[in-house]
Amino acid sequence: MNMNWKGLAALGCALVLIGSACGRDDGDSSSDSDNGDSSSAEDAFINPSEDCDTYDGSAGVDGDTIKIGTIRPADGPYAIYDQVTSGLDAWVESTNANGGVTAGDGNTYQIELIKENDGYDPARTPELAKKLVEQEGVFAIVGVIGTENNKAIRDYLNDECVPNIALATGSPEWGRADEYPWYIAGLPSYATEASMWTDYLQETNPEAKIALLYQDDDFGEAYQTTLQKEIEGTDMEIVDEQSYNPLSGGSTEAATVSLSQSEADTFIVGLGGTPCPATLTFIPETWTPETFVSTTCSGNTALSLAGGKDLGILIAQAVYDPADPADADQPAVQDFLTNGAAAGLDEGQLAGGISSVGWGFGALFGAGLEESDTVDRAALMNTLFSLEDSSFGLVRDEMDITTDGGEDPWPLEGFRIVSRTADGWEEMSPFTNKNGESNEIAG
Amino acid sequence: MKTLRGLGLVQTILWAVALIVVIVLPFTSAPFRVEQYITWMTIAVAAAGLNLLTGYNGQISVGHGALYGTGAYTVAILVTDAEWPLLPTVIAAAIVCFVVGVIIGLPALRIKGLYLALVTLAVATLFPLVIEQFSDLTGGSGGLTLTSEQLYRGSIRDRRVKWESPIDGLASDQWKYFIFLAISIICFVVIANLVKSRVGRSLVAIRDNETAAEVSGINVSRTKILTFGVSAAIAGIGGAMFALNKGQVNPTSFTLTLSIYLLVAVVLGGASTVIGPAIGAVIYGVFIDVISPELPESLHSATPLILGTLLVAQMLMAPSGIVGGFHDLTARISRRKQGGGKQDKNEEVTVTTHEVVAETDLETDPGGFHP
Repeated sequence: MNMNWKGLAALGCALVLIGSACGRDDGDSSSDSDNGDSSSAEDAFINPSEDCDTYDGSAGVDGDTIKIGTIRPADGPYAIYDQVTSGLDAWVESTNANGGVTAGDGNTYQIELIKENDGYDPARTPELAKKLVEQEGVFAIVGVIGTENNKAIRDYLNDECVPNIALATGSPEWGRADEYPWYIAGLPSYATEASMWTDYLQETNPEAKIALLYQDDDFGEAYQTTLQKEIEGTDMEIVDEQSYNPLSGGSTEAATVSLSQSEADTFIVGLGGTPCPATLTFIPETWTPETFVSTTCSGNTALSLAGGKDLGILIAQAVYDPADPADADQPAVQDFLTNGAAAGLDEGQLAGGISSVGWGFGALFGAGLEESDTVDRAALMNTLFSLEDSSFGLVRDEMDITTDGGEDPWPLEGFRIVSRTADGWEEMSPFTNKNGESNEIAG
Repeated sequence: MKTLRGLGLVQTILWAVALIVVIVLPFTSAPFRVEQYITWMTIAVAAAGLNLLTGYNGQISVGHGALYGTGAYTVAILVTDAEWPLLPTVIAAAIVCFVVGVIIGLPALRIKGLYLALVTLAVATLFPLVIEQFSDLTGGSGGLTLTSEQLYRGSIRDRRVKWESPIDGLASDQWKYFIFLAISIICFVVIANLVKSRVGRSLVAIRDNETAAEVSGINVSRTKILTFGVSAAIAGIGGAMFALNKGQVNPTSFTLTLSIYLLVAVVLGGASTVIGPAIGAVIYGVFIDVISPELPESLHSATPLILGTLLVAQMLMAPSGIVGGFHDLTARISRRKQGGGKQDKNEEVTVTTHEVVAETDLETDPGGFHP
């Protein structure tokens, strides 16, 4: 056997040498630097010739088709968010059916969406993102769900200079655009949302005693950190808090009951997925706090799981609710209801308040393409990071959608506080824009 | 005589083909695939560590995923917090896991079989929770990214660690692949030598009859504890490679499912065979990473069911695993043709390996577990 081993080792070494001389044989074009694009001006936010080792600005653009990808949970406790992707899918279908997106270069493009399923497990996300980029060759990634999931692929996508647009999360992390310029959020910052709650409390209940239940990851901790920071120096107080691990598979019942013993008059539910409405059902009859829930569970689909306990809850609202009769006349809502239905969304999805969010993610990507001079990855990001009073999807008209690179990387920074009624929402405090303040609020 | 030489030739050809495939693959695959291949290597190494304990020594562990995770977190913490260079962390991970393995192995001196399996099951179940508990060090449910300070967009920032290839024509993923291939081969050579040595024979002796082993002068307690330690250290090396390959660690990567995956790799490939766990790991990897994603989306949730069915079928047809089955087959052919002639030294090795597999009642006890 010894002789065989030596022979095999020699064969192995020879093969490695031959292999490295030949290089990868898949015609990898992404190593060709193509930085001569006119749109990447010296003073632009992203300058690919400086920021990227290898750059292929038009990867994923094939003739009149632009390929994009997304990653979402299609199974598990967070599968409810698959409806976000259904909305994105519907936007793509509807856009294609209406002729496509007319980009700034004058050409009209069809969009092709490739969906991957990570089950909300951030350990699975990187492989799928790499598959989308390297095997499918997507132009951009749109609407990836989950804070940890987006974090897990942040270094990779920024190293590869692949746009990740409309992250389906509002973690304050996305404010670090100077470090991660290929990431732009599709939701408002959770910190800004939490600051809206405390602003409202400051006016209506300045001595609020708060019980806080939060998801023990970046998403929930954003609420926790901001609340602590915002109530500093006020008479408000967090009297008790509990955390919940979304991957434990357990219930929030024990935590909710424990919080109900705290004599708090305000209950803040910083949870996502089905645990959020489930928590409302666990509030004992004897405890009647003013309850705020995360905007991520403010739609019909989520709240229908609350067994009627959603009446009177408060949320900070940034977008139109397609199920709210008060918003029904808005052109954006009409457009979504008509074209979304034509693209295959069912009644529940149209009114659910989740698919409409995904629809908006597609619309943000589309708006970016329309306003860019060329169909180029860096040009698209530079457009999205220099929006001026833009509008897209079902975002409320009062919203001032303005961005400015690392200075102001958040497209959505305004809310109004509304209270849940039997058929929609009642405005409790008017819309407030906090344009350019999100990073400061998050600290 | 002629047949035996023929079988030796078949083996050599198989090895050569395997070697060519292993070397050519990274040149013909996309970088994300190359990373998947490396993940299979890490599983192969960890499964080989488990095999030492479970296959050769008969101590069942359902907790090796936790040791793999310990290795991964050791690397992540050393690289990110202590700014160690990458490769020395692998050795550190092996040492840490050896110690942890010895500690977990202590109860094994008093409990055996199913009860030992339950203790290790607890370890596997608790591991992700422990990681989340110490979130200051481990990054909690968000995990840790292996970063180093690099110049980016005009300032020094924490960026993902990179594998710079020193050879022109080798991309960084290919360079990483060959480094980990070398580490894996070293692990397997060490294990191959270990099981052929006196130590290896005492492992098998303890598994088959502890009292007889003790009477023969084997220090049973010391051997069992050390086996646990060495097995854990090798699993830790697997985990360390995992962390260096992915560039990040996350508690959801190290759940009970991983421990079962390792056990499946051992049983599928062939318990108490050196190369079995590697074959098992690759087959499982091909199924999960290559075949399963190609299935229609509606079948995705049925993946574990399909895998389970295939495993049952394999257990019925080749209870001693793929390598065990191959040995059985070659042994049957050589016995029939040769009719008990004289063997030269080279051939003896082949037959002995077979006999170790065949005679340690693997046939009556699929998977080679000896409670």
